[in-house]
Amino acid sequence: MSRCKTVELFYALVPLKPWRGNLIRRHVEKCPRCLAGLASREAAGSLLVQERGVNIGRPLWAEVESALVADSGGKRMKDQAFQSSVMRRWGWAVATTFLVVLVTAFLLLRDFRPERIPAATNVPPRFELEYIRVSGQPANAVVYQPQGSNLIVVWAGKNP
Amino acid sequence: MDEQELIAGCLRGRMEDFRMIVERYSAPAMALAMNILGNRDDAEDACQELFIQVFRHLKSYDKDRSFKNWIYTILYRRCLDHLKRRRRSAELVKKMGRETVMTTPANPGHSHPPRSLPSGLLEQLKAKERTALCLWANEGYTAQEISEVLRCSASTARVYLFQARKKIKNLLEQGHVSLQNG
Ligand SMILES: [Zn+2]
Repeated sequence: MSRCKTVELFYALVPLKPWRGNLIRRHVEKCPRCLAGLASREAAGSLLVQERGVNIGRPLWAEVESALVADSGGKRMKDQAFQSSVMRRWGWAVATTFLVVLVTAFLLLRDFRPERIPAATNVPPRFELEYIRVSGQPANAVVYQPQGSNLIVVWAGKNP
Repeated sequence: MDEQELIAGCLRGRMEDFRMIVERYSAPAMALAMNILGNRDDAEDACQELFIQVFRHLKSYDKDRSFKNWIYTILYRRCLDHLKRRRRSAELVKKMGRETVMTTPANPGHSHPPRSLPSGLLEQLKAKERTALCLWANEGYTAQEISEVLRCSASTARVYLFQARKKIKNLLEQGHVSLQNG
């Protein structure tokens, strides 16, 4: 039986792959010459490696299992590292918050608690400065306190 | 045990169920990989990668689809990756061979992987054609099922199969293939 050239013609003349594929399929399914030029399932199978002929040389399952265990171990270590870093961050956040609360509470209580006021009575009622020096020399100093105010202004100038 | 039960067991983290899946599909997967890649070492590597990927992506498996087909689709991709790597390393060896040709003139500059397939099959058939042929001849797959593995239309899968069968017929008629299975 002579060879059919139709499929080769399709390849040469039809550039569009899906269209060409369709034409080839329709032709081959009906063309006895083309069908005669195709290997049978048995002939093809005789050349291929068969499932029953497979002899796996390596312990495939052991290799797969160890790869999966290593993979999950690595994942677990990553998770642990992530968890410990999260814990550390939380630790820092809690400690900082605690410190801020403590300092704020201290400042608030120091300024507003009435029982703290008597402690202020220990402060001498007078403002004293023993010595003021400017550029290593005794300064020309003036101390000023406005009436009815706790503000004290100390002005120090260089002695001429 | 039923396949879907094994899959459900794997999803619950039962390694024993996954071992059964690996044992059930090792031989057919190895046969397909050897028919695509042409040698045992690469096929074993591809199968190992396949099962690791299957375990990792089991959650994304669509139960309405054939599990075997899903496995073959992943395996086909792994085999294509191996072929790409082999092509790259062959190019590198070729380059190095060219550079060292002055000192080692006997070096042909390219390597032939050890083969378990008839050499004509590897040389004349493309990877897609070998895959289509193997699924059709060994597994009795239809063009539609082959197209799912190759991720192409059924019509295109039929053309791959037609080309493969035609080439095989020619090889057999010309006596260019010899059986070296094993
Ligand atoms: Zn024809």
